[in-house]
Amino acid sequence: MTTTAATTPAHVEPVFRPSWIARAIAFFSGTVGLVVKIVLLALLNALAVWAATVLADREKWPAFAALLVATAGIDAIYMISRNRAVPAKFLVPGLVFLAAFQIAPIVYTVDVAFTNYSTGHILTKGQAIQAIQLNSLQQPPNGAVYTLAYARDSGGRLVELLQDQTTHKTYVGTPKKLLAVPQSDFTISGGAITGAKGYTLVPQKDLFSIQGFNIPTGKGAEAIQPQGFTQAAVLEPTLRYDAKHNTFTRISNGTVFHDNGSGSFVSANGAEELEPGWKTGIGTHNFGRVVHDPLVYRPFLRVLAWTVAFAALTVFFSFAIGLFVAMALDKPGMRFLRLYRSLLVIPYAVPGFLSLLVWSGLLNDDFGVVNRSIINPIFGTTVPWLFSDPWWARVSCIMVSTWLTVPYFFLVSLGALQAIPGELVEAARVDGGGPLQIFRRVRLPLLLVAVAPLLIASFAFNFNNFNNIYLLTGGGPAANDQSIAGSTDILISYTWKLAFQAGKGNDYALASTIAILIFFIVATISAVSFWRTKALESLR
Amino acid sequence: MSKVKPLRLAAMLAVLAVIGAVAAATATARTHGQTLTIWADASRVPAMQKVAGAWAASHGITVNVVQKDFGTIQNSLGTVDASTAPDVVIGASDWVGGFSANGLVVPLVLSRAVKAQFPSYSLDAMSYGTAVKRLYGLPVQLENIGLVVNTKLAKVPTTFAQLESEALAFKKKSSNNLGIAVQQGANGDAYHMYPFFSGLCGYIFGKNDVGNLDPSNIGVANAKFLKNASLIDKWNKEGLINSQVTSGTAQSAFLGKHAAFWITGPWNSATLKASGIKFQIVQLPKIVCPSVPFLGVQGLFVTKFAQQHGVGSAAVDLVTNYMAQPSAQVAVALAGGRPPANINAAKLVKDPVLAAFGKAGVGGVPLPNIPQMNSVWSELGGAWVKATRGAGAVPAKTAFRTAARNIANKIG
Repeated sequence: MTTTAATTPAHVEPVFRPSWIARAIAFFSGTVGLVVKIVLLALLNALAVWAATVLADREKWPAFAALLVATAGIDAIYMISRNRAVPAKFLVPGLVFLAAFQIAPIVYTVDVAFTNYSTGHILTKGQAIQAIQLNSLQQPPNGAVYTLAYARDSGGRLVELLQDQTTHKTYVGTPKKLLAVPQSDFTISGGAITGAKGYTLVPQKDLFSIQGFNIPTGKGAEAIQPQGFTQAAVLEPTLRYDAKHNTFTRISNGTVFHDNGSGSFVSANGAEELEPGWKTGIGTHNFGRVVHDPLVYRPFLRVLAWTVAFAALTVFFSFAIGLFVAMALDKPGMRFLRLYRSLLVIPYAVPGFLSLLVWSGLLNDDFGVVNRSIINPIFGTTVPWLFSDPWWARVSCIMVSTWLTVPYFFLVSLGALQAIPGELVEAARVDGGGPLQIFRRVRLPLLLVAVAPLLIASFAFNFNNFNNIYLLTGGGPAANDQSIAGSTDILISYTWKLAFQAGKGNDYALASTIAILIFFIVATISAVSFWRTKALESLR
Repeated sequence: MSKVKPLRLAAMLAVLAVIGAVAAATATARTHGQTLTIWADASRVPAMQKVAGAWAASHGITVNVVQKDFGTIQNSLGTVDASTAPDVVIGASDWVGGFSANGLVVPLVLSRAVKAQFPSYSLDAMSYGTAVKRLYGLPVQLENIGLVVNTKLAKVPTTFAQLESEALAFKKKSSNNLGIAVQQGANGDAYHMYPFFSGLCGYIFGKNDVGNLDPSNIGVANAKFLKNASLIDKWNKEGLINSQVTSGTAQSAFLGKHAAFWITGPWNSATLKASGIKFQIVQLPKIVCPSVPFLGVQGLFVTKFAQQHGVGSAAVDLVTNYMAQPSAQVAVALAGGRPPANINAAKLVKDPVLAAFGKAGVGGVPLPNIPQMNSVWSELGGAWVKATRGAGAVPAKTAFRTAARNIANKIG
């Protein structure tokens, strides 16, 4: 290494050579840069125009307006050469992504939390009314099913050629009435109507543009309704919608179903509910459930307690172990020091997903290596690590998350320990302090100044450590209460289960509500902790 | 900056924006064209493409078969954007309730001739409604589990007592042997345990007077079942069944001749044929009540989006008419390794293994298709795990009573 300087010839004049970064800046400052900028902005505008047409097509006007304003704003910022716009030029890309990936999901989550968005409540009210009407159609007992063909009469008017599949009688249907015609007028082959006297069949390729119609049979609201291109059936509605009073009435017995204000039509005694319902705002009802409904707040509190314990214990153990190991290895001149340090960092270097899956295999109650090759030969029994005993499952969760977090605190502590001035420790020793006393009174407080914010961050991370729970125990074993939350479910995995595995399917609204509560819990804990750690900083 | 006039810049931007607008217009026009979108899982995409493609060609439209993970279709249909939503989806009969309660699929009417070609239970499995019961899906393929017997290792049992003694005698021969290889694993498997459950007179939901499943009538711990539940404790003690057996261990035990009896379904028919083992497939012998399996039906649904996309009639025609034909049924069902639902189509399939599985399902119970079924799977499976854990198992009565209570509470 020391000889490299000698290889440089001494007689060469030092020439000023700008670095490649400087050259790149110079290159892009001129016309090239301007062209690049215009092309990029134009592409952005083209994209925005395309997006605007799509939004307009779907009548999402607020989003449409936001898009136009944002695009015009971005154009203005990059086209105006005033100095005032310079900071914005650097900030805008970041802000756009912040809005897209942070603010938009938050707004959406909050929005969902105040609705009843869940299985049975995903349509708009209009769609729901349509679906209820459609689902309420019923085939009357012995109602006829017809073979259908679309045709045009001599005047070019669309008619429906029908043959009753039971009686084989033939008819011609118009939007007004059904006309019986002699069977001999129709040509029928292979169960399909292939021709009729006086009518021309609509060719197959044109069937698409055909708008079929219902033919009243004259019996109440009954009608022959086309089902696809080649079939029609007699259907009668069983419910009648009254748009003026916003109610459904059952035709057979007059039961009235009222809009209950939370996305469903229900009968007066509340016993019967029409499906589907619709998505609608229900105010703070979901938050009320967390407070008042024992079926929600009992599991919520149980899960919350375990979540706090899981996060706190994980941070405590990993910091304690990481610090201990860091102090043990904080000895300059120790042999194989690099080797030890590298080995310790391995769990940190392996992707977390992989480690968790490996651990769930190792700890498998029946086939895992830990039980088969270690516990059973030594103790003659097995430990139900993951799936049957709630307490052992909790131990496993903390153990594995500690394993994953220790290297982080080892690295952090090692760095922080080396930053503590040696003379402070020296002075303490001269004053007659023992190793424990020095640790407790000098090194730990100084260490905490640097590490405390990281402890809080780690706590917040583990509070929402979905992977750890989901991949290791899946939240199980099942708890003996009335909830889908298992014994090791933390709030975030409980939220996931509510959204995708709730009692009736999905309960996105309650899941969003709990997600919001998680945010407030984590924010409060972090804020209080940061505020308390300010006291540590006065040590400096 | 000063060299280029702002006006010229604005003009350039305007030109590019116009290009974007034109591109957008053509793209939108294309999506509004006559395309029928179908969601299918990987195994059935090629078959659907071929069968539905042939139908589409005769109508002058195109079909776009989109590959989806089968399990995700159920939830995705509720959250998909209308513009990219499918017009027809492949799905399972136990999703029907959820689909209908969400208003995502449209009711169908089958012609008399077509109706007669399907086993009535398969149509029942695809029907749902709290007041008016309507058909929402066309059955395409059937599946159920049966008892596979290695005829070299044991006789085909005709009574449950015979099965029990044969299985236990075989188990005694080696510590590696299993009594009956039926999969459960850590989280349980209520589907594979159902023949035992029904054999002990358990049921999941009773029916109300309209003939619909009634979520308030839960039969997981009905009196008759509880009376027979002590048999589970006996089986557990004998080691006839054990919850630690997973799908992997059950299969390898049977294929490795460490189990004479295996409870599995037609999805393993290729494995069975390739194994070289001499086997027969029967229904699990009657315990107290008939030990019938769940009957699963998979089929095609027309979504509510089809109407919005202007292909409503076409989608209905494809599903209720074309896909009901034996040739279409055979192509799609065999792609999924299951027997077709159409009776005439099933006659075309000369596969003795699939036929035997079909026979093992006689009298079976259609998978409950009301959305409340979501609350049942894990609880019922968990009760079996707790009761058949070997040493330290919970008495079956307690386990199933707890499960019934939890299910009732979850349904709320």
